[in-house]
Amino acid sequence: MNYLNDMSEINLSLQDRTNAYRQLGANPFRPWPARITSITQLTPKEKLFELRLIDEKVREAFTFTAGQFVELSIFGVGEAPISISSAPSKQGFIELCIREVGTVTAAIHRMQCGDVVGLRGPFGRGFPFEDMRGQDILLVAGGLGIAPLKSLINHIHDERHDFGKVTILLGARNPSEILFRHEFDMWKHREDFDLIMTVDDAVDPVNPDVTWDGEVGLVTRLFDRLDIEPAHTFGVICGPPVMYPFVVEEMRKKQLKVDRIFVSIERRMKCGIGMCNHCAVGHQYTCIEGPVFSYWDAINLQEAI
Amino acid sequence: MIYKIISKGALADLFAGLQETYDEVVGPQERGPAFVFDKLSSVDEVRLNYPSTILPPTKYFLPADERLFRFDRSTGDVYDSEPAQGTRAILGMHPCDINAVLMMDEIFMGDYVDPYYETARKSSFIIGVSCMPEPGHLCAAFGADEIHRGFDLFLTDLGDRYFVSCRSVPASELMDSYVRSCEPSAEDINDFQERTKRFKEAFAPMPKMDQLPLLYGAKYFDEELWERIGDDCLSCGACASVCPCCYCFDVRDKVDPGGKTGMRHRIWDSCLKSEHAEVAHGHNFRPTRASRVRYRFFHKFVGNFSRTGKMLCVGCSRCGKACKVGINPGSVIEALQKEYLPDTAGVEVFKGGGAS
Ligand SMILES: Cc1cc2nc3c(=O)[nH]c(=O)nc-3n(C[C@H](O)[C@H](O)[C@H](O)COP(=O)(O)OP(=O)(O)OC[C@H]3O[C@@H](n4cnc5c(N)ncnc54)[C@H](O)[C@@H]3O)c2cc1C
Ligand code: SF4
Ligand code: SF4
Repeated sequence: MNYLNDMSEINLSLQDRTNAYRQLGANPFRPWPARITSITQLTPKEKLFELRLIDEKVREAFTFTAGQFVELSIFGVGEAPISISSAPSKQGFIELCIREVGTVTAAIHRMQCGDVVGLRGPFGRGFPFEDMRGQDILLVAGGLGIAPLKSLINHIHDERHDFGKVTILLGARNPSEILFRHEFDMWKHREDFDLIMTVDDAVDPVNPDVTWDGEVGLVTRLFDRLDIEPAHTFGVICGPPVMYPFVVEEMRKKQLKVDRIFVSIERRMKCGIGMCNHCAVGHQYTCIEGPVFSYWDAINLQEAI
Repeated sequence: MIYKIISKGALADLFAGLQETYDEVVGPQERGPAFVFDKLSSVDEVRLNYPSTILPPTKYFLPADERLFRFDRSTGDVYDSEPAQGTRAILGMHPCDINAVLMMDEIFMGDYVDPYYETARKSSFIIGVSCMPEPGHLCAAFGADEIHRGFDLFLTDLGDRYFVSCRSVPASELMDSYVRSCEPSAEDINDFQERTKRFKEAFAPMPKMDQLPLLYGAKYFDEELWERIGDDCLSCGACASVCPCCYCFDVRDKVDPGGKTGMRHRIWDSCLKSEHAEVAHGHNFRPTRASRVRYRFFHKFVGNFSRTGKMLCVGCSRCGKACKVGINPGSVIEALQKEYLPDTAGVEVFKGGGAS
């Protein structure tokens, strides 16, 4: 398949995409109520919320691919776009990993199990999971960038026999900021995933006594030791905007082609359905053609990267 | 399409028909030195030979502040999410403004359908009216001076009578039931053609549109050029609020007194505002005034053009009149063309200052 961004091809894939709003003929501005079923404090600033859509019909229609996002509504406060962190294979529940940065995110951080929020979505295009089957995967996540990649990693995990070598490079500012740390700590000894965690600063401000036994330095430093077969590898990147050019450069040095590198980008959003125009990059919308773009597409969109 | 001739006096019959058929009839009226679209209670209020209105009639499809739904904060129940009902006849839309609405249709009734927009659109009856170019009007450069669809009726002013193009079934029923009309004679058709010719000839030289998207792409990262074009911008958003092709919106929740229930609504927004592309941790994808002006016109001339083949500007000149510092599509196009065609003749565009 060719990922060059021909509009007609994009429109086709949009038509194909099963979307709960289209299936149910519903008003795409109207959130569906969902109940918080579990809350896990991941780091001082991030919590993982497990949600269950209350309406059964909606729950059944709500199918998604890793990389897609929802608009989370806290009624009376507002909305924020949040990537789905759980795998599509996890039936009936949706997990969101949320950092407290502003009004909506602070409001959900104050909520309890049993409280009701609103969800709209799923929106956008996810990772090309079907095309990734049979290939090696190199995932690079910085900070909160792991949120959408977690869905992809879990999905790959569920269908592990379909993939070649899977390498995950995880960067964070310091050990206390590594998301899903407990889970990933256990993964370090697995043979079917190569997981390397690195921090900018080895001192853990939350538990200063605990020593860090992982890598120190930027994720880009880890590339030297990687052995990559570029023709059979997909690169995936998600993290803060400053990270992309440097990580892409490392991938390019490993001969990965620009249309085999996928990035997930963040923009301000108000509608999620291509109307409010806040998330425009070049001539495309992060909420419709993105948030996952091939790097080729991204460099052809002014100011995307 | 069916064509008819009606006398100017028959406008009163048409108006009576509209009033009986639709819940509300709106049209251009005089307000001091300017014109506005507002509710008409009598045919005497309407001014069909107006130059332009302060706000475009797009406000009837995308109101400045619109209710999306009400909610209960504790239960998460959402109610009153149905679009407002009620029918409306919009009398006297210019071709540029109808062209703008056709472009909005592609955005709000495209891949996803906005039920609020769609309902307002489908319950509206549109009567277009011919115009004459005013200084600064750039509609001819964008092909927006002509209109062939998107209206129910279109009235072309032939001096003592109107040449009526009747496009929809409700329009033809309305004409049959309320308005005395006759078939156009050879002389009527001749006058219609003469009028069209006079209209086309009345335009001042238009800016050169040659290769505009390509030129824009090539000059996109020329910071110095964009500083010159956009650094004066006040980020006031006046241009976007009067533009029939601007549609950015923000979504806000308002909580009722008591705190249990509230309303989500959307309000007009503008990409010229500094926080438009700001994300968490204060990172702003368009931090400078120049970068936002560059983006606004990029979206109009290149972004939407790449998606739909149409530029999001109908050359109505409203933004140029609203802007205090003289930024307008003509001046931007001219500045870009000058980079490659130094002898580009200065086009007559508004250089800022007060509404007309
Ligand atoms: C596709 C996508 C996926 C995302 N996934 C996640 C995720 O999995 N987890 C997570 O914690 N965050 C995610 N974000 C970021 C998250 O949407 C913003 O941090 C959130 O909108 C802030 O909302 P707020 O009301 O709490 O902040 P606000 O009070 O609105 O603002 C706080 C700061 O965030 C900025 N901001 C406001 N609205 C947005 C917006 N819509 N998008 C980005 N920044 C905004 C403001 O300019 C301000 O600087 C994602 C964003 C996008 C576009
Ligand atoms: S950009 Fe200016 S001239 Fe063009 S349609 Fe909008 S208001 Fe009119
Ligand atoms: S009206 Fe003029 S000054 Fe105001 S935002 Fe628009 S371009 Fe800038």
